[in-house]
Amino acid sequence: MASRLGYSAAIVGIGRCMTKREDAEKLTALQLGSISSANAIKNAGIKRGQIGAFFTGRCPTSYRTLQYNQTLLNELKIAPVFNTEVTAHGAGALGTLELGVLAVNSGLVDYALCVTNEASGVWLKDKVGQNAAGESNPQFEAPFGPTTPSLYAQVACRYMHEYGATSEMLAKVAVENRNWALTHPYAAMRNRGKITIDDVLNSRMIASPLHLLDCAVNYPGGISTAFIVTRAELAKNHENPTWIAGFGQQTTHEWISERMGAYDLDVIGHEPNLTNTGCATAAKQAYEMSGLKPKDIDIVQTSAPFSFVHLMMLEELGFCKKGEGGAFVMDGNIDFDGGMAFNTMGGYLSFGQMAQGLYNLHETVDQIWGRAEGRQVPDADIGLVHGHGGILASHSVMIVSRERAQ
Amino acid sequence: MSEPAIKLEDWAQGIPMRAGPVSLGLYQPSPETMEYWRGIDRRELMLRHCDHCNRFFHPKRIVCSDCGASDLTWKPASGTGKVYSFSEIHRAPSEAFAAGAPYINGIVRLTEGVHLFTRFIPDPGPVKIDAPARLDFRVLESKWMLPVFLVG
Ligand SMILES: [Zn+2]
Repeated sequence: MASRLGYSAAIVGIGRCMTKREDAEKLTALQLGSISSANAIKNAGIKRGQIGAFFTGRCPTSYRTLQYNQTLLNELKIAPVFNTEVTAHGAGALGTLELGVLAVNSGLVDYALCVTNEASGVWLKDKVGQNAAGESNPQFEAPFGPTTPSLYAQVACRYMHEYGATSEMLAKVAVENRNWALTHPYAAMRNRGKITIDDVLNSRMIASPLHLLDCAVNYPGGISTAFIVTRAELAKNHENPTWIAGFGQQTTHEWISERMGAYDLDVIGHEPNLTNTGCATAAKQAYEMSGLKPKDIDIVQTSAPFSFVHLMMLEELGFCKKGEGGAFVMDGNIDFDGGMAFNTMGGYLSFGQMAQGLYNLHETVDQIWGRAEGRQVPDADIGLVHGHGGILASHSVMIVSRERAQ
Repeated sequence: MSEPAIKLEDWAQGIPMRAGPVSLGLYQPSPETMEYWRGIDRRELMLRHCDHCNRFFHPKRIVCSDCGASDLTWKPASGTGKVYSFSEIHRAPSEAFAAGAPYINGIVRLTEGVHLFTRFIPDPGPVKIDAPARLDFRVLESKWMLPVFLVG
Protein backbone atom coordinates (compact mmCIF):
# COMPACT_ATOMS: atom_id res chain seq x y z
CA MET A 1 0.00 0.00 0.00
CA ALA A 2 1.32 3.39 -0.97
CA SER A 3 1.33 6.09 1.71
CA ARG A 4 -0.28 9.53 1.40
CA LEU A 5 2.53 11.02 -0.71
CA GLY A 6 3.02 7.90 -2.82
CA TYR A 7 1.77 8.45 -6.40
CA SER A 8 0.52 11.90 -5.33
CA ALA A 9 2.27 13.64 -8.22
CA ALA A 10 3.58 12.91 -11.70
CA ILE A 11 6.07 14.11 -14.27
CA VAL A 12 4.01 15.60 -17.12
CA GLY A 13 6.72 17.43 -19.04
CA ILE A 14 10.31 16.59 -19.80
CA GLY A 15 13.11 18.41 -21.59
CA ARG A 16 16.77 17.81 -22.23
CA CYS A 17 19.58 19.66 -23.94
CA MET A 18 22.85 17.81 -24.41
CA THR A 19 26.10 18.56 -26.24
CA LYS A 20 29.12 16.42 -27.04
CA ARG A 21 32.78 17.36 -26.92
CA GLU A 22 33.08 17.47 -30.70
CA ASP A 23 30.05 19.69 -31.26
CA ALA A 24 31.07 22.95 -32.92
CA GLU A 25 28.70 24.98 -30.80
CA LYS A 26 29.69 25.13 -27.13
CA LEU A 27 26.56 25.89 -25.13
CA THR A 28 26.86 27.38 -21.65
CA ALA A 29 25.06 25.93 -18.66
CA LEU A 30 22.61 28.83 -18.86
CA GLN A 31 21.88 28.14 -22.53
CA LEU A 32 21.44 24.44 -21.83
CA GLY A 33 19.20 25.12 -18.82
CA SER A 34 17.06 27.63 -20.69
CA ILE A 35 16.55 25.35 -23.70
CA SER A 36 15.73 22.24 -21.66
CA SER A 37 13.31 24.21 -19.48
CA ALA A 38 11.54 25.64 -22.51
CA ASN A 39 11.33 22.13 -23.96
CA ALA A 40 9.81 20.77 -20.74
CA ILE A 41 7.20 23.55 -20.62
CA LYS A 42 6.28 22.87 -24.27
CA ASN A 43 6.22 19.13 -23.66
CA ALA A 44 3.79 19.58 -20.77
CA GLY A 45 1.55 21.79 -22.91
CA ILE A 46 1.34 24.50 -20.26
CA LYS A 47 2.01 28.24 -20.27
CA ARG A 48 5.06 29.64 -18.49
CA GLY A 49 2.76 31.64 -16.23
CA GLN A 50 1.49 28.37 -14.76
CA ILE A 51 4.90 27.54 -13.25
CA GLY A 52 4.26 28.09 -9.55
CA ALA A 53 7.43 26.49 -8.20
CA PHE A 54 10.94 26.53 -9.63
CA PHE A 55 13.69 24.41 -8.12
CA THR A 56 17.20 24.12 -9.49
CA GLY A 57 20.17 21.99 -8.47
CA ARG A 58 23.23 23.72 -7.14
CA CYS A 59 24.76 26.53 -9.14
CA PRO A 60 26.73 25.10 -12.08
CA THR A 61 30.50 25.15 -11.55
CA SER A 62 30.88 26.59 -15.02
CA TYR A 63 28.42 29.45 -14.53
CA ARG A 64 28.88 30.95 -11.09
CA THR A 65 26.30 33.53 -10.16
CA LEU A 66 25.26 34.57 -6.69
CA GLN A 67 21.76 33.16 -7.19
CA TYR A 68 21.74 30.93 -10.25
CA ASN A 69 18.10 30.03 -9.72
CA GLN A 70 17.21 33.70 -10.24
CA THR A 71 19.51 33.94 -13.26
CA LEU A 72 17.73 31.07 -15.00
CA LEU A 73 14.31 32.28 -13.86
CA ASN A 74 15.15 35.64 -15.44
CA GLU A 75 15.84 33.95 -18.80
CA LEU A 76 12.62 32.00 -18.71
CA LYS A 77 10.42 34.95 -17.72
CA ILE A 78 8.52 32.92 -15.17
CA ALA A 79 7.21 34.15 -11.83
CA PRO A 80 7.10 31.27 -9.34
CA VAL A 81 5.92 31.69 -5.76
CA PHE A 82 8.32 29.00 -4.48
CA ASN A 83 11.86 29.03 -5.81
CA THR A 84 15.24 27.99 -4.51
CA GLU A 85 18.46 26.16 -5.29
CA VAL A 86 18.60 22.71 -3.76
CA THR A 87 22.03 21.94 -2.40
CA ALA A 88 22.68 18.47 -0.91
CA HIS A 89 25.34 17.98 -3.62
CA GLY A 90 24.21 15.51 -6.31
CA ALA A 91 21.29 14.38 -4.16
CA GLY A 92 19.78 17.81 -4.69
CA ALA A 93 18.96 16.95 -8.30
CA LEU A 94 16.22 14.51 -7.36
CA GLY A 95 15.67 16.87 -4.42
CA THR A 96 14.30 19.45 -6.86
CA LEU A 97 11.53 17.01 -7.80
CA GLU A 98 10.95 16.01 -4.19
CA LEU A 99 10.33 19.65 -3.29
CA GLY A 100 8.26 19.89 -6.45
CA VAL A 101 5.96 17.09 -5.26
CA LEU A 102 5.53 18.81 -1.89
CA ALA A 103 4.88 22.19 -3.51
CA VAL A 104 2.17 20.99 -5.91
CA ASN A 105 0.54 18.93 -3.16
CA SER A 106 0.30 22.04 -1.00
CA GLY A 107 -2.40 23.22 -3.39
CA LEU A 108 -0.81 26.68 -3.45
CA VAL A 109 0.70 26.05 -6.89
CA ASP A 110 -0.13 23.70 -9.76
CA TYR A 111 3.14 23.10 -11.64
CA ALA A 112 6.77 22.85 -10.54
CA LEU A 113 9.73 23.19 -12.92
CA CYS A 114 12.82 21.27 -11.77
CA VAL A 115 16.15 21.71 -13.55
CA THR A 116 19.87 20.91 -13.35
CA ASN A 117 22.50 22.05 -15.84
CA GLU A 118 26.26 22.04 -16.33
CA ALA A 119 28.81 22.44 -19.11
CA SER A 120 32.42 21.37 -19.13
CA GLY A 121 35.18 23.90 -19.65
CA VAL A 122 38.72 24.68 -18.64
CA TRP A 123 37.59 24.76 -15.01
CA LEU A 124 36.43 21.16 -15.19
CA LYS A 125 39.62 19.17 -15.50
CA ASP A 126 39.70 15.41 -15.50
CA LYS A 127 38.10 13.89 -12.45
CA VAL A 128 41.05 11.84 -11.32
CA GLY A 129 43.54 14.65 -10.94
CA GLN A 130 41.31 17.46 -9.90
CA ASN A 131 42.04 19.60 -6.90
CA ALA A 132 39.69 18.44 -4.19
CA ALA A 133 39.24 21.94 -2.75
CA GLY A 134 35.51 21.73 -3.33
CA GLU A 135 35.23 18.28 -1.77
CA SER A 136 37.61 18.61 1.17
CA ASN A 137 37.62 20.59 4.37
CA PRO A 138 39.73 23.68 3.59
CA GLN A 139 41.61 23.69 6.92
CA PHE A 140 41.56 20.08 8.08
CA GLU A 141 41.84 18.05 4.85
CA ALA A 142 42.91 20.18 1.87
CA PRO A 143 46.39 21.12 3.18
CA PHE A 144 47.29 17.38 3.16
CA GLY A 145 46.85 17.19 -0.62
CA PRO A 146 43.76 15.01 -1.11
CA THR A 147 42.13 14.39 -4.46
CA THR A 148 38.47 13.51 -4.90
CA PRO A 149 39.29 9.83 -5.62
CA SER A 150 41.50 9.66 -2.50
CA LEU A 151 38.64 10.94 -0.33
CA TYR A 152 36.24 8.29 -1.69
CA ALA A 153 39.08 5.81 -1.32
CA GLN A 154 38.88 6.20 2.48
CA VAL A 155 35.44 4.58 2.25
CA ALA A 156 36.63 1.97 -0.27
CA CYS A 157 39.47 1.05 2.10
CA ARG A 158 37.02 0.45 4.97
CA TYR A 159 34.40 -1.26 2.78
CA MET A 160 36.91 -3.77 1.42
CA HIS A 161 38.34 -4.32 4.93
CA GLU A 162 34.97 -4.79 6.64
CA TYR A 163 33.23 -6.87 3.98
CA GLY A 164 36.03 -8.56 2.07
CA ALA A 165 35.24 -6.99 -1.29
CA THR A 166 38.06 -7.48 -3.82
CA SER A 167 39.47 -5.29 -6.57
CA GLU A 168 38.03 -7.80 -9.10
CA MET A 169 34.54 -7.21 -7.71
CA LEU A 170 34.98 -3.46 -8.07
CA ALA A 171 36.32 -3.90 -11.60
CA LYS A 172 33.30 -5.97 -12.65
CA VAL A 173 31.11 -2.88 -12.19
CA ALA A 174 33.31 -0.84 -14.55
CA VAL A 175 33.09 -3.62 -17.16
CA GLU A 176 29.28 -3.65 -17.14
CA ASN A 177 28.99 0.16 -17.08
CA ARG A 178 31.11 0.18 -20.24
CA ASN A 179 28.92 -2.40 -21.97
CA TRP A 180 25.88 -0.14 -21.55
CA ALA A 181 27.79 3.00 -22.60
CA LEU A 182 28.62 1.39 -25.96
CA THR A 183 24.88 1.56 -26.75
CA HIS A 184 24.46 5.28 -25.99
CA PRO A 185 25.20 7.86 -28.70
CA TYR A 186 26.28 10.51 -26.18
CA ALA A 187 28.27 8.39 -23.71
CA ALA A 188 31.78 9.69 -23.05
CA MET A 189 33.32 6.23 -23.60
CA ARG A 190 31.04 5.07 -26.44
CA ASN A 191 33.95 4.72 -28.87
CA ARG A 192 36.41 3.15 -26.46
CA GLY A 193 35.25 -0.45 -26.83
CA LYS A 194 34.65 -3.14 -24.25
CA ILE A 195 36.94 -3.55 -21.26
CA THR A 196 37.78 -6.55 -19.10
CA ILE A 197 38.37 -6.97 -15.39
CA ASP A 198 42.09 -7.23 -16.16
CA ASP A 199 41.96 -3.94 -18.07
CA VAL A 200 40.64 -2.25 -14.94
CA LEU A 201 43.19 -3.89 -12.64
CA ASN A 202 46.03 -3.04 -15.06
CA SER A 203 45.01 0.60 -15.46
CA ARG A 204 47.24 2.88 -13.44
CA MET A 205 46.65 3.41 -9.77
CA ILE A 206 45.06 6.80 -9.01
CA ALA A 207 44.47 6.57 -5.27
CA SER A 208 44.65 3.09 -3.79
CA PRO A 209 42.57 0.96 -4.03
CA LEU A 210 41.08 2.87 -7.01
CA HIS A 211 42.55 2.41 -10.50
CA LEU A 212 41.91 4.80 -13.37
CA LEU A 213 39.05 2.66 -14.71
CA ASP A 214 37.44 2.52 -11.25
CA CYS A 215 36.90 6.28 -11.52
CA ALA A 216 34.16 8.34 -13.17
CA VAL A 217 34.91 10.41 -16.22
CA ASN A 218 33.66 13.98 -16.23
CA TYR A 219 31.08 14.19 -19.00
CA PRO A 220 32.84 15.94 -21.90
CA GLY A 221 30.18 18.38 -23.03
CA GLY A 222 27.10 19.86 -21.46
CA ILE A 223 23.81 18.51 -20.14
CA SER A 224 20.64 20.00 -18.80
CA THR A 225 17.54 18.07 -17.77
CA ALA A 226 14.20 19.64 -16.88
CA PHE A 227 10.94 18.22 -15.55
CA ILE A 228 7.45 19.56 -14.98
CA VAL A 229 5.74 18.05 -11.95
CA THR A 230 2.07 18.36 -11.02
CA ARG A 231 -0.32 16.73 -8.54
CA ALA A 232 -2.46 13.70 -9.35
CA GLU A 233 -5.75 15.47 -10.11
CA LEU A 234 -4.09 17.68 -12.74
CA ALA A 235 -1.77 14.96 -14.06
CA LYS A 236 -4.81 13.09 -15.36
CA ASN A 237 -5.32 15.90 -17.89
CA HIS A 238 -1.91 15.24 -19.43
CA GLU A 239 -0.80 12.53 -21.84
CA ASN A 240 1.34 9.75 -20.41
CA PRO A 241 2.10 11.08 -16.94
CA THR A 242 5.01 9.28 -15.26
CA TRP A 243 3.98 8.72 -11.65
CA ILE A 244 6.34 9.57 -8.82
CA ALA A 245 5.63 6.49 -6.73
CA GLY A 246 7.93 7.36 -3.84
CA PHE A 247 11.04 9.25 -2.84
CA GLY A 248 13.46 9.72 0.06
CA GLN A 249 16.56 11.62 0.95
CA GLN A 250 19.17 11.82 3.70
CA THR A 251 22.34 13.79 4.37
CA THR A 252 24.82 12.75 7.07
CA HIS A 253 27.87 15.03 6.82
CA GLU A 254 29.90 17.41 4.73
CA TRP A 255 33.56 16.36 4.95
CA ILE A 256 34.39 12.65 4.88
CA SER A 257 36.79 12.70 7.85
CA GLU A 258 34.18 14.56 9.91
CA ARG A 259 31.67 11.85 9.10
CA MET A 260 33.72 9.99 11.71
CA GLY A 261 32.60 12.58 14.26
CA ALA A 262 28.96 11.61 13.76
CA TYR A 263 27.52 9.00 16.11
CA ASP A 264 24.29 7.97 17.80
CA LEU A 265 22.23 8.60 14.66
CA ASP A 266 19.84 5.94 13.36
CA VAL A 267 21.41 5.69 9.93
CA ILE A 268 24.96 5.52 11.23
CA GLY A 269 24.57 3.51 14.40
CA HIS A 270 26.18 4.09 17.78
CA GLU A 271 29.77 3.93 16.59
CA PRO A 272 31.09 6.23 13.87
CA ASN A 273 31.77 4.47 10.56
CA LEU A 274 32.15 5.17 6.85
CA THR A 275 30.22 2.25 5.39
CA ASN A 276 26.59 2.99 6.30
CA THR A 277 25.19 5.78 4.16
CA GLY A 278 22.02 7.82 3.92
CA CYS A 279 21.08 5.82 0.82
CA ALA A 280 19.58 3.10 3.05
CA THR A 281 17.26 5.60 4.74
CA ALA A 282 16.34 7.27 1.46
CA ALA A 283 15.53 3.88 -0.09
CA LYS A 284 13.47 2.74 2.89
CA GLN A 285 11.41 5.92 2.72
CA ALA A 286 10.89 5.58 -1.04
CA TYR A 287 9.85 1.92 -0.78
CA GLU A 288 7.45 2.60 2.09
CA MET A 289 5.94 5.62 0.34
CA SER A 290 5.35 3.63 -2.84
CA GLY A 291 4.39 0.31 -1.27
CA LEU A 292 6.94 -1.28 -3.61
CA LYS A 293 9.83 -3.63 -2.87
CA PRO A 294 13.20 -4.14 -4.58
CA LYS A 295 11.78 -7.14 -6.50
CA ASP A 296 9.18 -4.83 -8.11
CA ILE A 297 11.87 -2.61 -9.70
CA ASP A 298 12.57 -3.21 -13.42
CA ILE A 299 15.39 -0.73 -14.01
CA VAL A 300 17.93 0.93 -11.69
CA GLN A 301 20.22 3.94 -12.11
CA THR A 302 22.80 4.88 -9.49
CA SER A 303 24.86 7.99 -9.03
CA ALA A 304 28.21 6.37 -8.30
CA PRO A 305 31.45 8.10 -9.30
CA PHE A 306 33.66 5.18 -8.29
CA SER A 307 33.24 1.45 -8.88
CA PHE A 308 32.93 0.38 -5.23
CA VAL A 309 30.09 2.87 -4.65
CA HIS A 310 27.88 0.78 -6.96
CA LEU A 311 28.37 -2.24 -4.70
CA MET A 312 27.47 -0.28 -1.57
CA MET A 313 24.40 1.23 -3.25
CA LEU A 314 23.15 -2.12 -4.59
CA GLU A 315 23.21 -3.25 -0.95
CA GLU A 316 21.62 -0.16 0.55
CA LEU A 317 18.93 -0.08 -2.15
CA GLY A 318 17.99 -3.59 -1.03
CA PHE A 319 18.99 -5.62 -4.10
CA CYS A 320 21.33 -7.74 -1.98
CA LYS A 321 22.39 -7.98 1.65
CA LYS A 322 24.89 -5.61 3.29
CA GLY A 323 28.40 -6.64 2.33
CA GLU A 324 27.27 -8.94 -0.49
CA GLY A 325 27.39 -6.44 -3.35
CA GLY A 326 30.63 -7.92 -4.67
CA ALA A 327 29.31 -11.47 -4.79
CA PHE A 328 26.06 -10.12 -6.30
CA VAL A 329 27.83 -8.57 -9.29
CA MET A 330 30.25 -11.50 -9.73
CA ASP A 331 27.21 -13.80 -9.94
CA GLY A 332 26.10 -11.92 -13.06
CA ASN A 333 23.26 -9.94 -11.51
CA ILE A 334 24.19 -6.66 -13.23
CA ASP A 335 25.50 -8.22 -16.44
CA PHE A 336 24.62 -6.32 -19.61
CA ASP A 337 23.62 -9.72 -20.99
CA GLY A 338 21.06 -11.27 -18.68
CA GLY A 339 21.37 -9.23 -15.48
CA MET A 340 19.11 -6.51 -14.10
CA ALA A 341 18.95 -3.29 -16.10
CA PHE A 342 21.56 -1.28 -14.18
CA ASN A 343 22.90 2.12 -15.24
CA THR A 344 21.54 1.85 -18.76
CA MET A 345 23.38 4.96 -20.04
CA GLY A 346 26.72 3.59 -18.86
CA GLY A 347 26.82 5.10 -15.40
CA TYR A 348 29.22 7.77 -14.22
CA LEU A 349 32.14 5.48 -15.04
CA SER A 350 31.45 5.30 -18.79
CA PHE A 351 28.64 7.70 -19.69
CA GLY A 352 30.21 10.42 -17.59
CA GLN A 353 29.31 12.48 -14.56
CA MET A 354 27.71 15.91 -14.84
CA ALA A 355 24.88 18.15 -13.66
CA GLN A 356 24.22 16.01 -10.58
CA GLY A 357 23.12 13.10 -12.75
CA LEU A 358 19.51 14.15 -13.26
CA TYR A 359 19.74 12.70 -16.78
CA ASN A 360 19.46 9.31 -15.07
CA LEU A 361 15.82 10.17 -14.33
CA HIS A 362 15.25 11.29 -17.93
CA GLU A 363 16.72 7.99 -19.11
CA THR A 364 14.46 6.05 -16.76
CA VAL A 365 11.35 7.85 -18.02
CA ASP A 366 12.49 7.15 -21.61
CA GLN A 367 12.90 3.46 -20.77
CA ILE A 368 9.47 3.29 -19.12
CA TRP A 369 7.80 4.70 -22.25
CA GLY A 370 9.82 2.61 -24.70
CA ARG A 371 11.82 5.55 -26.08
CA ALA A 372 15.35 4.29 -25.29
CA GLU A 373 16.33 3.49 -28.85
CA GLY A 374 19.24 1.06 -29.16
CA ARG A 375 19.22 0.07 -25.49
CA GLN A 376 15.53 -0.42 -24.69
CA VAL A 377 14.93 -2.66 -21.69
CA PRO A 378 11.88 -4.90 -22.28
CA ASP A 379 8.93 -4.47 -19.89
CA ALA A 380 10.49 -1.65 -17.89
CA ASP A 381 7.42 -0.38 -16.03
CA ILE A 382 8.94 0.74 -12.75
CA GLY A 383 12.33 2.43 -12.34
CA LEU A 384 14.46 3.47 -9.38
CA VAL A 385 16.91 6.35 -9.58
CA HIS A 386 19.55 7.08 -6.96
CA GLY A 387 21.25 10.46 -6.60
CA HIS A 388 24.28 11.13 -4.47
CA GLY A 389 26.90 13.73 -3.80
CA GLY A 390 29.56 14.96 -1.47
CA ILE A 391 31.77 12.12 -0.36
CA LEU A 392 28.77 9.81 0.15
CA ALA A 393 27.28 12.70 2.15
CA SER A 394 23.83 13.16 0.60
CA HIS A 395 21.62 10.54 -1.00
CA SER A 396 18.22 10.60 -2.64
CA VAL A 397 16.10 7.87 -4.14
CA MET A 398 13.09 8.23 -6.45
CA ILE A 399 10.84 5.47 -7.78
CA VAL A 400 8.83 6.24 -10.91
CA SER A 401 6.08 4.18 -12.53
CA ARG A 402 4.11 4.08 -15.76
CA GLU A 403 0.95 3.00 -13.96
CA ARG A 404 -0.62 4.67 -10.96
CA ALA A 405 -1.11 2.20 -8.10
CA GLN A 406 -4.70 2.08 -6.86
CA MET B 1 62.49 20.06 12.23
CA SER B 2 62.09 22.95 9.81
CA GLU B 3 60.22 26.14 10.60
CA PRO B 4 56.68 26.54 9.34
CA ALA B 5 56.67 28.23 5.98
CA ILE B 6 53.58 30.22 6.90
CA LYS B 7 53.67 31.96 10.26
CA LEU B 8 50.66 32.37 12.49
CA GLU B 9 50.76 36.15 12.04
CA ASP B 10 50.41 35.58 8.29
CA TRP B 11 47.41 33.31 8.74
CA ALA B 12 45.72 35.94 10.88
CA GLN B 13 46.21 38.43 8.05
CA GLY B 14 44.43 36.16 5.64
CA ILE B 15 47.14 34.75 3.36
CA PRO B 16 45.26 32.57 0.84
CA MET B 17 45.92 28.88 1.31
CA ARG B 18 47.72 27.68 -1.80
CA ALA B 19 49.82 24.75 -2.90
CA GLY B 20 51.76 25.92 -5.91
CA PRO B 21 49.27 27.42 -8.32
CA VAL B 22 46.29 25.67 -6.74
CA SER B 23 44.09 27.44 -4.23
CA LEU B 24 43.27 25.11 -1.39
CA GLY B 25 40.08 26.84 -0.47
CA LEU B 26 38.50 30.09 0.49
CA TYR B 27 38.51 29.73 4.24
CA GLN B 28 41.15 31.11 6.58
CA PRO B 29 42.18 29.88 9.97
CA SER B 30 39.46 31.61 11.89
CA PRO B 31 38.60 32.49 15.47
CA GLU B 32 37.04 29.07 16.09
CA THR B 33 40.16 27.20 14.92
CA MET B 34 42.95 29.61 15.88
CA GLU B 35 43.88 27.69 19.04
CA TYR B 36 44.39 24.57 16.90
CA TRP B 37 46.85 26.43 14.66
CA ARG B 38 48.60 28.04 17.64
CA GLY B 39 49.00 24.53 19.08
CA ILE B 40 50.68 23.36 15.88
CA ASP B 41 53.04 26.32 16.11
CA ARG B 42 54.28 24.94 19.46
CA ARG B 43 54.02 21.29 18.24
CA GLU B 44 50.88 20.35 20.09
CA LEU B 45 47.72 18.81 18.61
CA MET B 46 44.83 20.59 20.31
CA LEU B 47 41.37 18.99 20.52
CA ARG B 48 38.03 20.31 21.68
CA HIS B 49 36.72 18.89 24.96
CA CYS B 50 33.36 19.10 26.74
CA ASP B 51 34.13 19.32 30.45
CA HIS B 52 30.47 18.58 31.26
CA CYS B 53 30.35 15.30 29.32
CA ASN B 54 34.07 14.50 29.57
CA ARG B 55 34.19 13.88 25.83
CA PHE B 56 36.76 14.93 23.20
CA PHE B 57 35.74 16.37 19.82
CA HIS B 58 37.29 17.32 16.48
CA PRO B 59 39.14 20.65 16.77
CA LYS B 60 36.54 22.27 14.51
CA ARG B 61 33.55 21.53 16.83
CA ILE B 62 31.76 24.56 18.20
CA VAL B 63 29.10 22.96 20.39
CA CYS B 64 29.03 19.63 22.23
CA SER B 65 27.12 17.00 20.19
CA ASP B 66 25.86 15.46 23.45
CA CYS B 67 24.78 18.31 25.74
CA GLY B 68 24.89 21.31 23.40
CA ALA B 69 27.31 23.27 25.58
CA SER B 70 29.17 26.02 23.75
CA ASP B 71 31.94 26.39 26.35
CA LEU B 72 34.15 23.65 24.90
CA THR B 73 37.72 23.79 26.18
CA TRP B 74 41.00 23.00 24.38
CA LYS B 75 43.10 20.02 25.50
CA PRO B 76 46.24 18.59 23.87
CA ALA B 77 46.00 15.12 22.34
CA SER B 78 48.24 12.41 23.77
CA GLY B 79 49.58 11.86 20.25
CA THR B 80 48.84 8.16 19.91
CA GLY B 81 46.28 6.43 17.77
CA LYS B 82 45.59 3.86 15.08
CA VAL B 83 45.14 3.92 11.32
CA TYR B 84 41.40 3.90 10.58
CA SER B 85 41.53 4.24 6.78
CA PHE B 86 44.08 5.31 4.18
CA SER B 87 44.77 5.80 0.48
CA GLU B 88 48.07 6.04 -1.35
CA ILE B 89 47.77 8.95 -3.75
CA HIS B 90 49.58 8.45 -7.05
CA ARG B 91 47.82 11.18 -9.01
CA ALA B 92 48.35 14.36 -6.95
CA PRO B 93 46.08 17.43 -7.08
CA SER B 94 48.82 19.83 -8.20
CA GLU B 95 52.45 20.03 -9.23
CA ALA B 96 53.45 21.02 -5.72
CA PHE B 97 51.91 17.86 -4.28
CA ALA B 98 53.10 15.72 -7.20
CA ALA B 99 56.67 16.32 -6.04
CA GLY B 100 55.89 14.23 -2.97
CA ALA B 101 53.77 11.53 -4.68
CA PRO B 102 53.00 8.81 -3.99
CA TYR B 103 52.00 9.75 -0.47
CA ILE B 104 49.46 8.37 1.97
CA ASN B 105 46.53 10.36 3.35
CA GLY B 106 44.04 8.84 5.71
CA ILE B 107 41.98 9.02 8.86
CA VAL B 108 43.61 8.38 12.25
CA ARG B 109 41.60 7.27 15.28
CA LEU B 110 43.20 9.02 18.24
CA THR B 111 43.37 7.38 21.66
CA GLU B 112 40.93 10.12 22.75
CA GLY B 113 38.34 8.68 20.32
CA VAL B 114 38.53 11.59 17.87
CA HIS B 115 39.10 10.92 14.14
CA LEU B 116 41.27 13.29 12.11
CA PHE B 117 42.35 13.49 8.49
CA THR B 118 46.13 13.32 8.28
CA ARG B 119 49.26 12.25 6.40
CA PHE B 120 50.57 8.79 7.28
CA ILE B 121 54.32 8.28 7.03
CA PRO B 122 55.60 4.67 7.13
CA ASP B 123 58.10 4.60 10.01
CA PRO B 124 58.88 1.80 9.67
CA GLY B 125 55.46 0.89 8.24
CA PRO B 126 53.59 -0.66 6.64
CA VAL B 127 50.50 1.57 6.71
CA LYS B 128 47.51 -0.72 7.24
CA ILE B 129 44.22 -0.59 9.12
CA ASP B 130 44.68 -0.65 12.93
CA ALA B 131 48.46 -0.16 12.72
CA PRO B 132 49.73 2.01 15.62
CA ALA B 133 50.33 5.68 14.75
CA ARG B 134 52.41 8.36 16.55
CA LEU B 135 52.03 12.12 16.22
CA ASP B 136 54.72 14.21 14.56
CA PHE B 137 54.77 17.55 12.75
CA ARG B 138 56.01 18.16 9.19
CA VAL B 139 55.89 20.91 6.61
CA LEU B 140 54.04 19.26 3.74
CA GLU B 141 53.91 20.15 0.05
CA SER B 142 51.23 22.75 0.82
CA LYS B 143 53.97 24.63 2.79
CA TRP B 144 51.82 24.19 5.88
CA MET B 145 53.21 22.78 9.13
CA LEU B 146 50.74 19.99 9.85
CA PRO B 147 50.15 17.18 12.33
CA VAL B 148 51.19 13.90 10.65
CA PHE B 149 51.37 10.35 11.98
CA LEU B 150 54.28 7.92 11.85
CA VAL B 151 53.03 4.36 11.37
CA GLY B 152 54.56 1.02 12.33
ZN1 LIG C 1 28.71 18.05 26.57
